[in-house]
Amino acid sequence: MEIERIKFERTGGFAGIRIAADFELDDLPEEQSRALAELLEDVKFRSLPERLTGKTPMPDQFTYTITVESGKGKHTVTLGDSSADEKMQELLQLLNRIARSRMKKQ
Amino acid sequence: MHKHSPIQCIVPPHMLEGIATKGTEAQKKLAVNTLKTSEQMRGQRRALADFAAAAFRVAATGGKERIVYDAKNGSSLPGTPVRREGDAATADVAVNEAYDGSGVTYDLYNAVYQRNSIDGNGMRLDSTVHFQKGYDNAFWNGEQMVYGDGDENLPPEERLFNRFTIAIDVIGHELTHGVTQFEAKLVYSQQPGALNESMSDVFGSLVKQYQLKQTAAQADWIIGAGLLTKNVNGVGIRSMKAPGTAYNDPVLGKDPQPAHMKDYVNTVGDNGGVHINSGIPNHAFYIASMEIGGNAWEKAGKIWYVTLRDKLTSTSKFQDCAALTYQTAGELFGAGSLEQQAVKKGWTDVGLSVEGGGTTEPGGCLEAILRFLGLAPAR
Repeated sequence: MEIERIKFERTGGFAGIRIAADFELDDLPEEQSRALAELLEDVKFRSLPERLTGKTPMPDQFTYTITVESGKGKHTVTLGDSSADEKMQELLQLLNRIARSRMKKQ
Repeated sequence: MHKHSPIQCIVPPHMLEGIATKGTEAQKKLAVNTLKTSEQMRGQRRALADFAAAAFRVAATGGKERIVYDAKNGSSLPGTPVRREGDAATADVAVNEAYDGSGVTYDLYNAVYQRNSIDGNGMRLDSTVHFQKGYDNAFWNGEQMVYGDGDENLPPEERLFNRFTIAIDVIGHELTHGVTQFEAKLVYSQQPGALNESMSDVFGSLVKQYQLKQTAAQADWIIGAGLLTKNVNGVGIRSMKAPGTAYNDPVLGKDPQPAHMKDYVNTVGDNGGVHINSGIPNHAFYIASMEIGGNAWEKAGKIWYVTLRDKLTSTSKFQDCAALTYQTAGELFGAGSLEQQAVKKGWTDVGLSVEGGGTTEPGGCLEAILRFLGLAPAR
């Protein structure tokens, strides 16, 4: 999958602080972009349903929205903490960290 | 036509509350027998049986019971039990904070609002600490409290959050989500969701004030003081005294909370801004507490608690909460009382009227009593 661009947003949580980033994969350091591409493969991002959230939102959990754009078009997935398995948690933590370091630069 | 519960016509609810919680065994028996022989109790045997059972169950319940678990940076809940009720402190500060904080929260609800734990019936308080790695959050999962360690896995200069048990109001906040789940059941979205959040901030802050024995004027009214690291320009996560001023930071941005309806934030994120618009009812509570003076948990807290327990419904909005707290203040302290006027000022100052709105479900005081005793019929 030739990933071009990624949009990430985390809202909610106890603090209610929004963290977001919108970047081209090429903008990242090589090691980070490789790790990100691998994790997206690992979670089978393209085959995930658009909504992975439970029926009723749990108080203070995070809500994440990830959009991946590639040559084949774009796919958006929204999920909550409780629907993230271990690989997905790794992906979310990496995206979170990328978003935070980019927010600082802006 | 409104159907009256017979108990409503015999004994006022505060008396039954007193009998159920403070009465001797003999007094309870007398109360139950009095009700039994009452002409008006005919056809109400079921309700009477419930009442009798509940009255004695409250007495039989041990009360405060806590277990703190360690997730060991994993995601399975609840994890390994590391401290049970009555155990000595451990070497793990997060474990001790979760234990002590849930204990003070239990004490406030029990001693001040005569509520025996989250469900009103002695439910055990379970907390899990060290959830995942770098999890800068705490939440209530419907059954227990869960706390992350902040962003402990980042280099020190990048860290923004400390462990989430560090602030006792966070613990009171999470436990109150449990109380709301058993009472008003406010849906976690838009205005009902922001009210759900606000109730958690209100009682979270009251747990801290109760622990520190601070009056409304002495309290800082900050939610999550100590939670942000020194890398962040901020005093905490939210300010009930001055919503929108808790932090202003290059990385985290500015505290987005409004203090007035004219600044209400419409957003799809955060379940419709539940952690943002909660600033409005939070500020109304702060103003009412300051107007009343003294310890906020005694009067303003009582008004909010009774409203949460008996009047708000799952879809209540800010306007309903304004009207219902005003109504409750009148019932508890008298129409036109200082307390009722204070509640009115609180809501007026944030742009809401205490007249109109405020639909509540009919239930009568029997339901209220049974709910108090932890025997509420499902709503």
